[in-house]
Amino acid sequence: MGEWMAERQRIPVNPGRVEWSGDNPGIYLKDSADGDWTSLAVCFRVTLSPHGRGRAMVVLGNPNVADGHPTADNLCITDNPGLFAYLKSDFLSHFPTFQGRESLLQAPVLPMSACRTEGDLSGAYSEIMECDDLVLRMTWREIGKPFAVEVGPDLCATKRHDMYSLFMEARAAEIAINDRLLPGRAFTRPFFGRETSTAFLAFSETWVTPNGP
Amino acid sequence: MPILPAINPGPVDWSGENPGILLKEDPDGPFSAMALFFRINYSPAGQGQALLLYEDPHKAAGPPTLQNAFYTDNVALAEHLRDTFIAKLAAFAEAPAFQGLQIAPLDRVETIGDPRDRYAEVVRAGDTQIELLWEDLGEPVALELPPSLTGPKDREMYTLLVESRRASISINGRKLKGEPAPRVQAGIETTTAFLYFAETWMWAQ
Repeated sequence: MGEWMAERQRIPVNPGRVEWSGDNPGIYLKDSADGDWTSLAVCFRVTLSPHGRGRAMVVLGNPNVADGHPTADNLCITDNPGLFAYLKSDFLSHFPTFQGRESLLQAPVLPMSACRTEGDLSGAYSEIMECDDLVLRMTWREIGKPFAVEVGPDLCATKRHDMYSLFMEARAAEIAINDRLLPGRAFTRPFFGRETSTAFLAFSETWVTPNGP
Repeated sequence: MPILPAINPGPVDWSGENPGILLKEDPDGPFSAMALFFRINYSPAGQGQALLLYEDPHKAAGPPTLQNAFYTDNVALAEHLRDTFIAKLAAFAEAPAFQGLQIAPLDRVETIGDPRDRYAEVVRAGDTQIELLWEDLGEPVALELPPSLTGPKDREMYTLLVESRRASISINGRKLKGEPAPRVQAGIETTTAFLYFAETWMWAQ
């Protein structure tokens, strides 16, 4: 225990500025292992941020189409537009999977009318977000064992934060708009020395802007 | 500074939110009322919510005499937390109220406010409404504590701490006696009223 703690050069109190904290599960789907993404979705359930608490879901069913709902299946739903604008500009836009995607910028941001979680981690687990009669659903299946992750800016998705999280991969997952499944399936990808699925639950996340250089 | 390995080798015990309020009538005296709330997104016993409440920590009595009880919407989760976690937190486990602690059903939880300013968890259990209120909140701090700096001493923890300098526990609108007291955690001067978010416990390797 002492040996690996020393190896990690970790300190108990992070001196950086906390940005936000909450849950941030995602599903990235493809038709083939070496193909481009066919459907992307992420969900945010934020307990603390500079813009307060809130929830948001982003679905890019046409990630390579620079257009939004209703022309393309690219849309966002949130109950806190200020929070979502911050998450999109300072975090999501820097994730490698979303970086440079005009579809994200063109996706309309719609007001949330309802949201809920269904199922449990031993079977199928779903996050559902609605804007009136428009229903977005993310479902994770075949969920693996949890593991805790801590990364600095060198390994963090944004390349600029410290990040703590609890990850669980899902070997199968679906994204649906009004019960219409979007194309693609989950594949595996390298993840900090492991092969894990491109569909994952990420709970208990805290993002911190480090102090100093 | 790179942090390696990125994946903690310790098996995860549970993860979620774990805010609490421990009150004293005299800063040098014993706790007069105690509450610990759990919103769990992962545990071996599933997800759920639970509130450990000691209306009077010094009495081994439960409802209806006293609201010394562990309210939950997942009994298996409450049993897991009681046996493997709370039993190792000296302040809670050594109190007479822990003896014969009743597990009682929880009907509903409502979260109110913003952890930057004023924040509350309101728990409804039958005819009883319990409000935990945190005010005068501090800046959030991310912590990563080795076992030696945690209550149970047998696992590591990642968490986000927001301290509260004014807090209360109310039962059906009746405020319990006491105020938060000073305490030190990982070298930080803080209080016995706290929000802990994004908290993950890993068994020590």
